[in-house]
Amino acid sequence: MTDRKAFLASVRQALGRRPGDVATPQPIAGLSVPDDELERMARQVREVMAERAGGLLDEMAEAASRAGWVVHRAVNDSEAVEVIRDICVDSGARSVLKSVEEPLLASERLDDALAAAGMDVRAMVRPEGTGAEVEKAMGELRSRVFEADVGITGADYGIAETGTVVLHPRMGLSRLISLAPPLHVAVLRKGDVLPSLDELFLLERESHVQGRLAGSMNLITGPSRTGDIEGAIVTGIHGPTEVHLALVDRSG
Amino acid sequence: MADPRLNSALEYVFEGFHKGRISAAAATTDWEAQRTLGRAIKEHTIAHLDYYLGQLADNVTGNGGNIFFARDAEEANQYVLGVAKRGNVRTVIKSKSMVSEEMGLNHALEAAGVEAVETDLGEYIIQLAGETPYHIIAPAIHKSKEEVSGLLAAKSGGERMSRAEDLTMQARAQLREVFKRAGMSVTGANFAVAESGSIVLVTNEGNGRMATSAPRIHVAVMGMEKVAPSIADMSILLRILIRSATGQRISSYVTMVNGPRRSDEEDGPEEFHLVVLDNNRSRLLADPAMREALYCIRCGACMNACPVYRKVGGHSYGWVYPGPIGAVVTPALTDLDAGKDLPFASTLCGACREACPVKIDLPRMLLELRAKAVESSGTKAEAAVWRSWRAGMTGRSKFDLAARSARWALRLFARGGWIKRAPPPLRGWTASRDFPLPAGRSLRARFKRRKPERGK
Repeated sequence: MTDRKAFLASVRQALGRRPGDVATPQPIAGLSVPDDELERMARQVREVMAERAGGLLDEMAEAASRAGWVVHRAVNDSEAVEVIRDICVDSGARSVLKSVEEPLLASERLDDALAAAGMDVRAMVRPEGTGAEVEKAMGELRSRVFEADVGITGADYGIAETGTVVLHPRMGLSRLISLAPPLHVAVLRKGDVLPSLDELFLLERESHVQGRLAGSMNLITGPSRTGDIEGAIVTGIHGPTEVHLALVDRSG
Repeated sequence: MADPRLNSALEYVFEGFHKGRISAAAATTDWEAQRTLGRAIKEHTIAHLDYYLGQLADNVTGNGGNIFFARDAEEANQYVLGVAKRGNVRTVIKSKSMVSEEMGLNHALEAAGVEAVETDLGEYIIQLAGETPYHIIAPAIHKSKEEVSGLLAAKSGGERMSRAEDLTMQARAQLREVFKRAGMSVTGANFAVAESGSIVLVTNEGNGRMATSAPRIHVAVMGMEKVAPSIADMSILLRILIRSATGQRISSYVTMVNGPRRSDEEDGPEEFHLVVLDNNRSRLLADPAMREALYCIRCGACMNACPVYRKVGGHSYGWVYPGPIGAVVTPALTDLDAGKDLPFASTLCGACREACPVKIDLPRMLLELRAKAVESSGTKAEAAVWRSWRAGMTGRSKFDLAARSARWALRLFARGGWIKRAPPPLRGWTASRDFPLPAGRSLRARFKRRKPERGK
C-alpha cells in the first residue's frame, strides 16, 4: 500500500492539488449515464432487441460476413444441427469440442449427428471439486482443446454494427474453446443481436452496477489475423483460421 | 531507405492504415462526434487522475486481483520479477505491450533466468532477430519474407518456408508450444476501467486472449494515463482506437478482463496483477502545456500520417515511441540527450493533429519543445550567427553586402558546387548533409541586368 500512497501523492502534486483537496469529478456532459437512468435505458435496449429482432439478425448476417465469418442461416434447431454437421464434415474434422452453455449444444441431438458422421465429439466441462484428480482431468481437457479440429460455442450477443459475437466465459464455456482449435462455429439466435457497441457496454455497465458482471468478456469478429509478414493478411496465427456463424431463427 | 522492398512494405502499412483510417472514419456518420466524446473522456479522466487511479486500485483489489503502482521502470520490473519468482515461473509469454518495451522488461526477465517470449507475430520476429519495433502497430514491417523465413527455420531447425501462410503456420506451431508450457503471461492494457477494475485488450491475432486464458498467472502493465471512468466509455474509446490504428471497424478480438478466474468460470488465470507505471508521466501531467500528451491512446495514426516518419522510419527516433507523439513524449519520459532533437524532426504540417482521434495538438507541443530546447542550449557561435543575420536583414544595402560576402566566403570551402565540410564551428551542420553553393549572382542582380522586352 505504500507504493499506492506515494504514487497517488505525486499524481496529486502534478495536478496542483493542495493538501486536503478532494477530487470530486462531475459527470461528463453528454456521456455519463446516472445509475437510476441506466436501468430504464437498459430496458429500452432489450425492447429494441426484441422489436427489431428480424432486421437486426439480417444486419448481423451482412456485417459478420464482411468481417470474415462464413454465415449460415437456419430456421430452427434441427436445421442448425445439420448446418453444424455439414461444416464439420466439409472441414474434414475428426475431433470436435463443444461448450454446453447453449441449449442446442447441451442436447444429445448434435452429438448423435456428429458421431453418426464418424467424429469424436466431447463437451468441455470442468470436473467438480478440487485436488489432484481434478487437476489431472483439467490437464487432459487443456491438451484436448489444443488438439481439437473444431470448437463449437453459443453466442451471448451479436453486434450488428461490427459483426461481432460476444461471449462471457463461464462454467461450461471455456475461454479456449473459441480460440485454440483451427475452426470455430458459433450459434447465435434471433433476438440476441444488439445494434451497436454502445448498447453492449451499456448492458455490461448495468450488470456491473447490479453486481453480476462476468469474470471476463470476449468480442470475436472474424478469424485470427496478422499482417506482420510484409503486410499480407493471413488468418490463423493464434486463433482459428476459419470461423462460421450459424444464425438460428427459432428454437425447436 | 534505398531498399525497394522495404519501401513498398512501408508504403503498404502507412498508406493502408492511413487510407483505412480515413475511409473507416468516413463510414462512421458521426466520426467528429466520436472524436469529441473521446477527447472529453480523456480530458476528464486526466484532470481527475488521482481519483480514478484510486478507484481503479480499490476495484482491482475488490475483484481479487493485485495492483502495484510503480514510479519507474526499475520498480515495475522488480515487481514483475517478484511475481514470477514466487510462482516458480520459468517461461513468460508476452502479448504486445509498448509499456513493457519502455520498461525493458524482457532484459530484466532474461537477466533473472526467466525466458520471455513475445507472441505478437511481428514482435516475435524482431525478438528472433534481436531488434526493436519499427512501428507500434506493425513492429516487423521492415523485415522481408526471406529474412522471416530464415529466422523461423533457424528457431525450429526445420525447413525454410516461402509463402506468408506457411510461415504463419510455422510460427503458430512454435508459439503453441510456448503457450502450453508458460506459467505466466505479461500483457499491456489498451484501457483500464476505474469503476469495475477491468482491463481491456485489443488484438487481431488472438495472443491477448491466449495470454489471458492459458497461463496460471496474468500480469498486465500499463501507463497511468490508460484508465477511463466507466464501462460505458469503452464503446467510444474502442471505436476511435481501432479505426485510427488499422482502419477496421473493430479488431478480431477485444477482451475485457475483470480480475482472476472466478469460482464459476471454466478456466482462466488464478492470479491477476495490474502494474501501473508513472515513469515521468507526472512531468507531462504537471506541465499544462504538455498535459494533453497523456490523452494519447497509442493508435499510431500520427505516425502513418507524418511525412517525416514515413521517410525516416521508426528506428530513427531513438526510443520506444516513434513519430510525432514519440517526439513529444520521449524528451519528458526519458533523460536521453537524443530526445532533445526529436521535436525538430517535424515539418509542423499539421497532418498528425488532423489524424489524431483525440485531437492532440501535436504541432503546438512540438513548437513548445523547440522553444525550450533553444532556450536551454544553442552554442555561442549559433547565437553570433543569428545576431549578424539580424544585422544583415535590417536594410537593403546591408542585405546585398551580406549576401555578396557570404557567396564569396562560401566559395572558399566548395568543391564542385557543394560544401561537404564547413569550417568550424559550423562543421556539425555538414556532418550529415551537404550544403549547395549559392548561385553566382543574386536573382535581384540578374533581374536588373535583364533588358525589358516590349512591343509584343
